[in-house]
Amino acid sequence: MDPKQLTIEQVQEVLLKEKYVCDRSLATVVYLSLVMGKPLLLEGEAGVGKTEIAKVLSKVLGAKLIRLQCYEGLDANTALYEWNYPKQMLRIKLEEVEHGDKAKVETEIFSEEYLIKRPLLEAIQTDGATPPVLLIDEIDRADMEFEAFLLEVLSDFQITIPELGTVSAKHRPYVFLTSNRTREIHDALKRRCLYHWIEYPTFEKEYEIITTKFPEVEAKMAQQICAFMQKVREMNFYKRPGVAETLDWASALIALNRKNLDDKSVVETMGCVFKYREDLHHLREQVENRQLNLDALLRVSPELVS
Amino acid sequence: MDVTPETVASAVSSVASARGKGTLPNVMAFARALKQLGIKVSLSQVLDVSRSVELVDIGARPDFRALLRANLVSQKEDFPVFDMAFDCFWREQTYERMPMETMEIQGTPTESDAPEGGDEEGGLEEAASEAMANENLQLENLDEFAVPTYSPQELMNRKDFSEMGVEESRAIARAIMLIATKIATQISRRKKVGRKGNTVDPRWTMRRSMKYGGEVIELVHRKKRIKKTRVVLLCDVSGSMDCYSRFLIQFMYGLQNELWGVETFVFSTSLSRITHLIRTKDIVNALEKISGSILGWSGGTNIGRSLHTFNRNFAPSMVTNRTVVVIISDGWDRGDVSLLEREMQDLKRRAKKIIWLNPLLASENYEPLCKGMQAALPYLDLFLSVHNVNSLVSLGRTLQKMVA
Repeated sequence: MDPKQLTIEQVQEVLLKEKYVCDRSLATVVYLSLVMGKPLLLEGEAGVGKTEIAKVLSKVLGAKLIRLQCYEGLDANTALYEWNYPKQMLRIKLEEVEHGDKAKVETEIFSEEYLIKRPLLEAIQTDGATPPVLLIDEIDRADMEFEAFLLEVLSDFQITIPELGTVSAKHRPYVFLTSNRTREIHDALKRRCLYHWIEYPTFEKEYEIITTKFPEVEAKMAQQICAFMQKVREMNFYKRPGVAETLDWASALIALNRKNLDDKSVVETMGCVFKYREDLHHLREQVENRQLNLDALLRVSPELVS
Repeated sequence: MDVTPETVASAVSSVASARGKGTLPNVMAFARALKQLGIKVSLSQVLDVSRSVELVDIGARPDFRALLRANLVSQKEDFPVFDMAFDCFWREQTYERMPMETMEIQGTPTESDAPEGGDEEGGLEEAASEAMANENLQLENLDEFAVPTYSPQELMNRKDFSEMGVEESRAIARAIMLIATKIATQISRRKKVGRKGNTVDPRWTMRRSMKYGGEVIELVHRKKRIKKTRVVLLCDVSGSMDCYSRFLIQFMYGLQNELWGVETFVFSTSLSRITHLIRTKDIVNALEKISGSILGWSGGTNIGRSLHTFNRNFAPSMVTNRTVVVIISDGWDRGDVSLLEREMQDLKRRAKKIIWLNPLLASENYEPLCKGMQAALPYLDLFLSVHNVNSLVSLGRTLQKMVA
């Protein structure tokens, strides 16, 4: 699918077909990023679907997804390319035994055959008709040096390998960066990107997400799940649950054949939503002290505006 | 930042003269208004807006808002200000008139505006290089600080921050910045010097072996990667610390702009993160704004609760066994001492080192008697004084050893 032919509505539609529910502003930004060829920096709390959107888009566009997971100490060798040293050494040894031509060996071991392509080079060198989707995940985990280096790649979309020459992209890859905000990204990098902050979903949106992902779910229970999630996100928990947790929980409840939520099943399955002992404890306390009135919350779940 | 509907309105009206027909002049004027409100916008971002404006139907207001926001704003904190400015600037009438005129700007290069934008950028660069030159000049004179001779400067270095007048404090602020910069550059230089490591570097081993015809004779070792240390600063800005905290924040500002991974927080009765606020060139103004906008500046102190907020919201991602936490406070705590102790214990578990800086420590008859200070003492790695420039220099050296 050629993204240049799309409209904002269509972006929303095709994403929905792949079961990704996104609101108008996110669709607009994604659309702009695709058409302008400008990288998109997505920020937001953990589990709101930052990484997912790149995955879904690659599926929709029929493009290859190339993912670079960042971590501290990530360097050019792991992100760009590296020579295949063992293979080079073996070749040299072999030539030695066979008394090969030294000059020829020297040039040949620095050819593409001996090059290991890492994600960034791969993204730039792809030949196919559709450019790949390049996902640079959790950029905040990488260090400043890597950011600076990324700047260079993202502005020119070319990489210079001293032994081979410059490789430049035939088609610019669609670039998505995600950040959990454990530190600030440098302004220079931000300036080269479009920026979007993904919020926790509203009640209606979360309901739509659940029913899209799990069409078999009872409407009543989906509403109860959403009402509960909206409520606990307002409360003081160490790690507030994201959409990922909502979906985990919903699928657990479906697997358990529940049609309706009550106190007991909430407490039983809370491990899907809260991943810290303190949070589980806090929740149990709140329920016991009637600070969090589960009964009322589950019974009078807000009606859908639809 | 302190942005009210009034400041937004005045920023918008101040750029009214720059507005014109068509999208580009309007977008540029809008960007200038945003700049006045403290949102950093570069020329390339504005150009990107004009490039993308034809891609969406700008008659659809939410889409147009999303377009401008994605291009011009790059942190969530600026969203509310942006929204206010957007609503104020793109009012209905101007907005409805605009779409008709969009097309004409595509064809005609806007003569009046393009050079203007260029000017601005050029002016900035000029100012920046000028500032750099000044800084270099002053940096050369910096060694004076370390020489223990008698001079008026030296006197000033020993003088307690609390005794300084306005003029003196300006001079000191400049000196502090220079020291911070110098320390920071020394630290980054030190990082490059590493001991001979124990891992073999295949890339260079291969390279070296070429001259022996591919026989591996020399093994090349990779230098041990020096793990970087982060610094987190928690600065008490309650009333009793008033005369010190400004200088200390300035010092951290200097370090932060040169070093990687410095985070700055201020606290009194509650805690606020100001890392992003003091990342501007204009520290004096930034400080004004911060002190105006932060709740409880010059008020009471609740160290325990502030630490609790920090441990809960920030420590998990910021504090590791490579982080040095620097707390600046006189230890006068009005909160719950047992909470303070618990939180110090928690922080100690996470952090590499905790340094407590207490400006009162310098006076001869000071003893850490107040309950808050006593509760914290067992968990500290270093308990230092910061009350004058010389003590900042020695703090810098200590940090240098830990960070390098």
